Amino acid sequence: MAKVVVIGAGFAGQTAALYLGSALGKQHDITVINKYDVFGYTPSWVWVGVGQMNPEKTTFKLKPVYDKFHINFLQGTATAIYTDDQYVLVERSDGGGEEKAAYDYLLIATGAKLNFAGTPGLGPRDGYTSSICSLPHAIDTRDRLFETIARMEKGERQKIVVGTGHPDATCQGAAFEYITNIHKLLEKRGLRDKADLLWLSNERALGDFGVRGLHIKKKGQVMTSDNFIRSVFDLYDIDWQVQKGVREVEPGKIYWEDYEGAEGETDFDFTMLIPQFLGPGFTYYDKDGNDITSKMANKGGFVLVDAIYGLDWDTLAETPEAWPAVYQNRTYKNIFAAGIAFAPPGSISRPHVNPNGLSITAAPPRTGMISGIIGRITALNIIDLIKRGRMTHAERMSEMAAACIASMGDSLWDGSAATIVIYPVVPDPRTYPNEQGRDMFVTDMEMGLAGAWMKRMIHSTFMHKLQGRIGWKFVPE
Amino acid sequence: MTMKISEKEQKYMNNKIIQFWRFIVLNLKILKAVDHSKRS
Ligand SMILES: Cc1cc2nc3c(=O)[nH]c(=O)nc-3n(C[C@H](O)[C@H](O)[C@H](O)COP(=O)(O)OP(=O)(O)OC[C@H]3O[C@@H](n4cnc5c(N)ncnc54)[C@H](O)[C@@H]3O)c2cc1C
Repeated sequence: MAKVVVIGAGFAGQTAALYLGSALGKQHDITVINKYDVFGYTPSWVWVGVGQMNPEKTTFKLKPVYDKFHINFLQGTATAIYTDDQYVLVERSDGGGEEKAAYDYLLIATGAKLNFAGTPGLGPRDGYTSSICSLPHAIDTRDRLFETIARMEKGERQKIVVGTGHPDATCQGAAFEYITNIHKLLEKRGLRDKADLLWLSNERALGDFGVRGLHIKKKGQVMTSDNFIRSVFDLYDIDWQVQKGVREVEPGKIYWEDYEGAEGETDFDFTMLIPQFLGPGFTYYDKDGNDITSKMANKGGFVLVDAIYGLDWDTLAETPEAWPAVYQNRTYKNIFAAGIAFAPPGSISRPHVNPNGLSITAAPPRTGMISGIIGRITALNIIDLIKRGRMTHAERMSEMAAACIASMGDSLWDGSAATIVIYPVVPDPRTYPNEQGRDMFVTDMEMGLAGAWMKRMIHSTFMHKLQGRIGWKFVPE
Repeated sequence: MTMKISEKEQKYMNNKIIQFWRFIVLNLKILKAVDHSKRS
């Protein structure tokens, strides 16, 4: 009987757990370790943050799902991994102290560690900014936004700044959704003229989103995501600044450096800034108790897998096979990492270092769809290894499609969303020798009410799928 | 270059019948993208 441990029950870990449970649950020992007893549907936290969705609608209890799939659930925080002795050290959430979870195969799917400390003054707890990157944060942000709205109702003009709070931040898509949803909310309340909205981001250009932007063909003309987002901001009267790396936040003031190395500041009354994302930050030990973390994870704590690391960006941009295919650690072949937890070989967007030596680069996103796909692949390979002794599944981000629906108002009557389909996520200039290295036939982007319907539909279908309900396998990640 | 979203385009983006059609098309587009993905 094989022991499989999955750390993290997010998009990657939950998808993997369902595949593992359905294929192995009855004969083998599958355990999921997660900090909380619920799954959290992150994309809808944008709506929680503007008070348009009840937080409970974005979660479900994990244990009943796992019971159905013959999966053990251990609620706690994994802190260390003993790679030779093959166990994970877990701090139980019930106060029961530390526990060892033994494994033959380990999947690390812990998502992002939110590094608020990376930018002094950032974050809702020790800083002066809001966040929608966790459910408690989104609830707190909603409350702060409504305080801001209350001030507008009294006639005060308010400045709202949304974007990235670290020079190397990612997840610009979520911030974009948040600012457009605020616009729609204020419009609905007749308060839009009381607010100045500003987009402040580390992207090279608008619409970069950490994927080097998009080019699409519409009626024979090429349109870029830069133009597309400009026209949205123009329509919504949202000011924007890009190429800004936020260095510090003080009450009412954001300090940044730009691409040229100039320093500047931006005032705010309310701000939601995405922090830098880091990897799980485990300590890894070998059989002699030596700390081997630097061999298992990169400086950001992301788990090293079968990527080609260390290429300069221009070479990486020409080498799609540098992106990992099976997400397996090269030293410990029974350790895999999926979703945000794996270490990418570099950024998709061209990096920039300003004259002061500050890197201002949109880090590569690993969205829900991408994380789900990687979760499936790693699970199927672990199943393969247990049943057949060899892996048969592989998919690089340079071979992977992703769909992203950026909500711009949640209403099913007059809401809107930008539906973005991108293939492949990481450009492959050899297969697609055009300007963007992508399939122009598949890559697409459009805006309209249909997108708002899509976003709702995807919320429901994913909540259905990830609870392992009937037909779950037919809903593609 | 900023392309303005015209009044006509805004109406198109919120026309329920057209958008129902776009909803179907978008679903097909996403399925097409999934199909193009390696999924091995
Ligand atoms: C506000 C917001 C909106 C977004 N919108 C979209 C969208 O519209 N579309 C899209 O595709 N993507 C979206 N994303 C991105 C998407 O949420 C992530 O790509 C996805 O959640 C990553 O999946 P994951 O499994 O790697 O991590 P997560 O989903 O974050 O899951 C990680 C899990 O691991 C657990 N965990 C962490 N550390 C430990 C530990 N030490 N021990 C035990 N458990 C641990 C966490 O509690 C969590 O349950 C959005 C992100 C945000 C923040």
